[in-house]
Amino acid sequence: MIRIENVSKDLGEFKLDDVTLHIHEGEYFIILGPTGAGKTILIETIAGIYQPDCGRIFLNGMDVTDTLPKDRSIGMVYQDYMLFPHLTVEKNIGFGLRHKKITRNETKTKVNEIADLLGVLHLLNRYPGTLSGGEQQRIAIARAVVTEPKVLLLDEPLSALDTRTTGRLREELGRIHRITKTTTIHVTHSFEEAFSLGDRIAVMGSGQIIQVGAPDDVFRKPNSEFIADFVGVENLFRGKSVVHDTISEVHADGICIVSSTLKSGDVSISIRPEDILISKKEIDSSARNSFSGQIMEVKDMGALVKLVVDVGIPFMVALTKRSYEDMELAYGTHVYIAFKASATHLF
Amino acid sequence: MLKIATISITLLLTTFILSLVICIVTHTNQHILLTSIASREIQFAIKLSLITSIISTLMCIIVSIPSSYALARYNFTGKTLINTIVDLPLALPPLVAGVGLLLLFGTTPFGNWLADIGIKFVFTPLGIIIAQFAVNISFMLRIMRSTFEGISPRYEYVAQTLGCTPIQAFLRTTLPMSKNGLLAGGVITWSKGIGEFGAALMVAGATRMKTETLPISLYLNMSSGDLDLAIAAATILIIISIISLYIFEKRGSIVHLY
Repeated sequence: MIRIENVSKDLGEFKLDDVTLHIHEGEYFIILGPTGAGKTILIETIAGIYQPDCGRIFLNGMDVTDTLPKDRSIGMVYQDYMLFPHLTVEKNIGFGLRHKKITRNETKTKVNEIADLLGVLHLLNRYPGTLSGGEQQRIAIARAVVTEPKVLLLDEPLSALDTRTTGRLREELGRIHRITKTTTIHVTHSFEEAFSLGDRIAVMGSGQIIQVGAPDDVFRKPNSEFIADFVGVENLFRGKSVVHDTISEVHADGICIVSSTLKSGDVSISIRPEDILISKKEIDSSARNSFSGQIMEVKDMGALVKLVVDVGIPFMVALTKRSYEDMELAYGTHVYIAFKASATHLF
Repeated sequence: MLKIATISITLLLTTFILSLVICIVTHTNQHILLTSIASREIQFAIKLSLITSIISTLMCIIVSIPSSYALARYNFTGKTLINTIVDLPLALPPLVAGVGLLLLFGTTPFGNWLADIGIKFVFTPLGIIIAQFAVNISFMLRIMRSTFEGISPRYEYVAQTLGCTPIQAFLRTTLPMSKNGLLAGGVITWSKGIGEFGAALMVAGATRMKTETLPISLYLNMSSGDLDLAIAAATILIIISIISLYIFEKRGSIVHLY
């Protein structure tokens, strides 16, 4: 559907460095990355705002690298809405329809339909300046999808909104995608958005695509320290690994972790906090890794509790509030922790 | 104490400015003033001032929109230098600009060529227009540049994805969104154009009933002792200043509702 081949673009402050990406028809594709990673310039280049310095961009097999934005059939939504302040909501939503050869009545019908879908029908005669952020973003989305673009580009569409609005609009985006099946590229730095919406994720850093995959894969199997750091894997250690037959033994700061990933030499190892078992008694299980230590820190996250257990190195362990209370754990409690060799990730 | 002192100084300043205006408008009685305004000479001056200032303001708008857009949106080599040069007329005494214009149009092959094909600036009303343009273009340019800088280019990007060519996108988003800046800039350029004296005097000269704008009329009648006509010209200039100041304050300070 969208093929980006070796695209580079240098804007001084931001840049793209040899980006290659293939996005499938109908896919909800997330581009995840920290601020300044080049996410916005990537989608602005896809939209045709910038000419790449080199590389080609294909839409539906057609080379559109030299095509004007207006001829690419692309819808665009920015973080700060970019609604035209001098036009009413109705004129804003209908803006892109003026260039299509349809009658005034058809335009009105389409605008009403899409406004209804996004719940902004009652705002059509208002001016954008008088509306809330959530309302403005719904209108911006309506304005982009009313022209039935082949590709929808969303640049941090939820970042400027408060938490509650973000949650609701996120569901809305998912619903619109299910209805329209429009290929969507959604740029964000929020994991929640990435995991709840994305069919696939590309992680970007300093102008490069670092990893592409299903959200689960990227989260569980980061291919570099940058991604592990960025996606916030909390138990991330460095060590020396030795391979024995079917396992690796990783020596990190005086403890030895067994991993089923085979890799030797200097490695990074990560274990997700929710993959670690915790108990006050010694754990009798198939888990290859078992350590004992003291609870050094308790972080109440609402339904979830995160503990830091010092077993020589600090492990972050996550468990539900319920089991935390059932087990009568507290700061200073002596505990055992265990996790499977397959729960570790070596890179 | 500080409050009383500072307010007193402000009041003195206000009194000073007000007395200037009052001295002019109360110098003659209403009857003489109206007769003078109705005189052929002052009528001519009003008409010439209006025509030249409106044309020069339109020229300033037409030139400043594209060039201030370029300076606000694009990076190109020599931009800093160009920025400084286009701001130069702000600092230059109008008389000096006038001398430059006189030399450019009166002594160079380019000026001679223009004169040959019938475009004469020296000692003609056309000279007044070019003088007003030369002195005022920087004001318009600065106001438009900061107006465009205040508008995110992303409005145009969105418009382009919605079917606009880059020029259409500008005409349908950034330009209408700049209307306060355009109006404020237009009014200040126009009122400065009407009051323009030094540069116009150099290029167009001060010929009664030929290049006699309101300020030139004021100057000519002052020198020849025709005080009533001079006062009439001054009064009209005051009225124009007050009106344009009012419009400028009202439009220029409108906080965007959006």
